[in-house]
Amino acid sequence: MSATSSALIELLDVSKIYATEAGEFPALRGINLAINAGEFFGIVGKSGAGKSTLLNMITGVDHLTSGEVLIRAGRDVSVHHLSENDLALWRGRTMGVIYQSFQLLPMLTLLENILLPMDLCGLYRPRESRRRAMELLELVEIPEHANKLPAYISGGQQQRVAIARALANDPPILVADEPTGSLDSVTADHIFDVFEKLVTRGKTIVMVTHDTGLMPRFNRHLVLSEGEIIS
Amino acid sequence: MKPRWRKVLSDLWDNKTRTLLVVFSIAVGVFSIGVISGAYVIIKNDMSASYAANHPANIELRMEDFDRDFLTSVQNAPDIESAVGRRIFAIRARPVNSTQWAALDIVAVDDFKKNDINLLTPISGAPLPGKREVVVEKKVLKEFQVAVGEDLVFELSDGSTQTLKVVGIVQDPTTGADDFLAPPFVYVTMSTLPTLRQPDAFNRVYATVDSGKNDEAHIRNVSADLVSRIEKNGKDVSRSRIALTNEHPLASTVNAILGILMALGILIVFLSSSLIANTLAALLNQHLRHIGVMKLIGGRANQIFGMYLVLILAFGLLALLIAVPAGGQGAYGLALFIADKLGFSLLGYRIVPMAFIIQIAIGVLVPLLAGFAPVIEGSRITVLSAISGEAGRETAGKPTPGAKRESRWEHFQVRAAQALLRRGIHLPRPLLISLRNTFRRRNRLILTLFTLTMGGAIFIAVFNVRTTLFDYMDNVGHYFVADVTLDFEKPYRLSEIENVARQVPGVVDVEGWAFATAEVLFPDGSVAENLTVLAPPAGSKMVDAQPVAGRWVQAGDTKQIALTEGILRSFPNLKPGDLLTVKTNGRTDHWQVVGFFKFIDREGLIAYGTYDYFSREANLANRSVSFRVVTDTHDQPYQRALSEALDQHFRASSYKLRQARPGLSALDNATESLDILVIFLLIMAVLTAVVGAMGLTGTMSMNVLERTREIGIMRAIGAGDGEIIRMVIVEGMVIGSLSWLLGLALSVPFTYLLSTIVSLAVFETPITVVFTPLGYFIWLGLVVVLSALASVVPARNAARLTIREVLAYE
Ligand SMILES: Nc1ncnc2c1ncn2[C@@H]1O[C@H](COP(=O)(O)OP(=O)(O)OP(=O)(O)O)[C@@H](O)[C@H]1O
Ligand SMILES: [Mg+2]
Repeated sequence: MSATSSALIELLDVSKIYATEAGEFPALRGINLAINAGEFFGIVGKSGAGKSTLLNMITGVDHLTSGEVLIRAGRDVSVHHLSENDLALWRGRTMGVIYQSFQLLPMLTLLENILLPMDLCGLYRPRESRRRAMELLELVEIPEHANKLPAYISGGQQQRVAIARALANDPPILVADEPTGSLDSVTADHIFDVFEKLVTRGKTIVMVTHDTGLMPRFNRHLVLSEGEIIS
Repeated sequence: MKPRWRKVLSDLWDNKTRTLLVVFSIAVGVFSIGVISGAYVIIKNDMSASYAANHPANIELRMEDFDRDFLTSVQNAPDIESAVGRRIFAIRARPVNSTQWAALDIVAVDDFKKNDINLLTPISGAPLPGKREVVVEKKVLKEFQVAVGEDLVFELSDGSTQTLKVVGIVQDPTTGADDFLAPPFVYVTMSTLPTLRQPDAFNRVYATVDSGKNDEAHIRNVSADLVSRIEKNGKDVSRSRIALTNEHPLASTVNAILGILMALGILIVFLSSSLIANTLAALLNQHLRHIGVMKLIGGRANQIFGMYLVLILAFGLLALLIAVPAGGQGAYGLALFIADKLGFSLLGYRIVPMAFIIQIAIGVLVPLLAGFAPVIEGSRITVLSAISGEAGRETAGKPTPGAKRESRWEHFQVRAAQALLRRGIHLPRPLLISLRNTFRRRNRLILTLFTLTMGGAIFIAVFNVRTTLFDYMDNVGHYFVADVTLDFEKPYRLSEIENVARQVPGVVDVEGWAFATAEVLFPDGSVAENLTVLAPPAGSKMVDAQPVAGRWVQAGDTKQIALTEGILRSFPNLKPGDLLTVKTNGRTDHWQVVGFFKFIDREGLIAYGTYDYFSREANLANRSVSFRVVTDTHDQPYQRALSEALDQHFRASSYKLRQARPGLSALDNATESLDILVIFLLIMAVLTAVVGAMGLTGTMSMNVLERTREIGIMRAIGAGDGEIIRMVIVEGMVIGSLSWLLGLALSVPFTYLLSTIVSLAVFETPITVVFTPLGYFIWLGLVVVLSALASVVPARNAARLTIREVLAYE
């Protein structure tokens, strides 16, 4: 483990090779990367460049082939050395993950969707959880829909709920894979505003996008191509 | 409520079809087990309790006539607690307004008030008859309708009739308890006997022992001792029977039958659990994305495991809510039915704690066990594969061995279709798609096929067992070839009776038979079995004998007999050619067994000997008291009509005819009791078929649900409702037909197994298995119809989906 760096997220020579029927496919080739606390960090690149794969290495939802991912939130953690169970709990408390396809549970109301991570990680008492969930809904500006089911609100509103859910356990890090990918540009802009607001409140955000027009709005970004950082 | 439990509740509530499917799958198994185990406990207890409550005799002796002084000497014999004398004789009776006679046995009791053996349980009217009154056993009502206060006409031996009033209806759980084919009883006092032209003398002794009322060996000794005392006094005992106080004589038979039902019940539980496993696996599969999301936001494997465990428990509890009360009712119903058939009464409706516990255990444990593997697997899935939707799709992203095989199978399908095409055989596209769909989910297909095949195999086997049983009864019928049996009060010359009988139109042949009764003795001199020897003339056309070992009796035989296999109970190593020690006419003799045949033994064993020898032994050469008549037609109404005609003819010619009986009636009684058993088996068969059909419905619904998107795409490219419905139904019928083919094979061992168990329980000997195409055809029709029905609902649902719903489907 590198003792010299103080970056919040650090990737050391991370490689990912997919084994496919057609043979081995290297999706990431020796990525080294450090992201500091409080940064709004963008990962940009063409489709198939390996952006999602890189995010999956950071969140630990997929295994890497070689290298190491270190996260220094509270205690130092080497993500890929955690067991599946420890990882789930650690991720639930440390990292909010947001996907392009929202991934809300359809049978729960918006409020319950936001309550679920608090229920599973057990950081807050039930009463406090409810108060937090309502606050988060206000933060993403849709408190009036609290008791609706996801199917009855728009895509942009669903993504706001997904963000609120990602914030439920007050994690220091937010990771988002093309969160605006399936939204129109006006709605996407609103979502981006939310992220910027969160950065000012001290969250560290790592966001993937293939929209190069968004690059200026990040504090810092990298461009990925064929599994390598090209700038 | 915590959001995760809210999710569990929604999972339970939102997909009602699926919930009902799982709940009913569990409930079917719980119900069957509840019915059978409940009935088992109730009957096991009540059958013997109601028997014991009526003070059953430990010793029953059939004797030549004796008087009250003689009875006193029996009462004073060692270790006899109590002894009563009775007179039992056969008679025919009918209600006043009917012409149809029924064969009954009259039981004459000396003093009902003092009687303390084989008590009667009053049902309606007076509990005991007065002079010139009768009380009837409830079984009489099955022969004809008669109410308290009405009259019965009895036919006396001299042909005259006597009318007596029925003052009460009773139940007699003890007299004749060992023989549920015995004619029903009518009770009178001894003082009524002169009215019925019967002597004021007893011919039966019923006695209880002082100690060891449930010790078979002890009772046997007391009985043997009593019999030798009586015989020293110069009285003949033609037959003796012993019984325990606290065990109904048929308890073991009934328990064996219930045991068979229990085995089938366990099988149903087994089948329903495969159904549960199937449905839960599909449910977990649909929930993979949810599981992935929960893991993504911090859910650990044991939390997710817990959620699904609670869901499964909820399914189980819902099933128990339905199945436990229904099972309790069913158990009592079944017990009541059996009690009614065997003539004992139940101690009243109750919840059987044992059955209750078994049901709860099964309702909770079976779904847990069945769901364990899918739940473990589901809670172990990685976030990525769950969210990206790779896992659970037909071809998994990671190249697992299973996936490889599946692609090989697809390869084969394409090749096969091409090969057929090259030969000019063109399978329609939709059929090809159906065929291909059938094999897409192999585990599910295997479980569905398993359930349906087992259901079918049991169904077919039950039909085969039914045929086997009836074939056996048919075989037994070979010993009942006579159409009418004539019993006389005294012996007549063979030629004389033959001439008189032939005067009745329709009579083809007449034979006079000789009889003997004997007791087969163990080497130590105690009685092993009672034996009745039937001795038709050599070359008799009225016995179509089929010995299973050795040979039949033949002209020139003397002390040779052919014997039913029942003897093997007492002498397992007996072989043709061996000698048996018997006691007959008060002396000990040795008879040689020449062969064995199959027969249902009632009140002792049956043997066949030659007329020449046994008529001489009885000092009745060329004479007989019992004649067999063959008529030109053999159906039962004709036999009955002819036995009436013969009855009138002989009485008119002043012969002392006791009775003329149609030949098939005895057989009919036996067949009826087998029918009860077959009905039980069929109920179980239908239950298993229902479980199988439910399995198929579930599978088809799950298949259709999972292919919602595909179906939407097919609709979008122009497939009509009809095509989609047909595609689903054909798939269901392919599965149904496949299971029929497999069931065809599996039914063979099942038939052998079930036949053996049933025949051992009922006949105490294994019987030859006979197959019938009937079950195969019925099941084929049933499985095609069931599988079409099982697919119709899912197919209609599939066709009804709008494009919007398909796209919204996740
Ligand atoms: N499970 C997998 N098995 C094999 N190859 C994969 C797998 N997942 C991704 N790949 C390959 O790895 C490369 C990178 O994929 P990745 O999903 O990271 O791209 P991306 O940059 O996120 O693209 P997009 O912008 O389209 O989402 C692609 O070429 C893809 O084909
Ligand atoms: Mg991507």
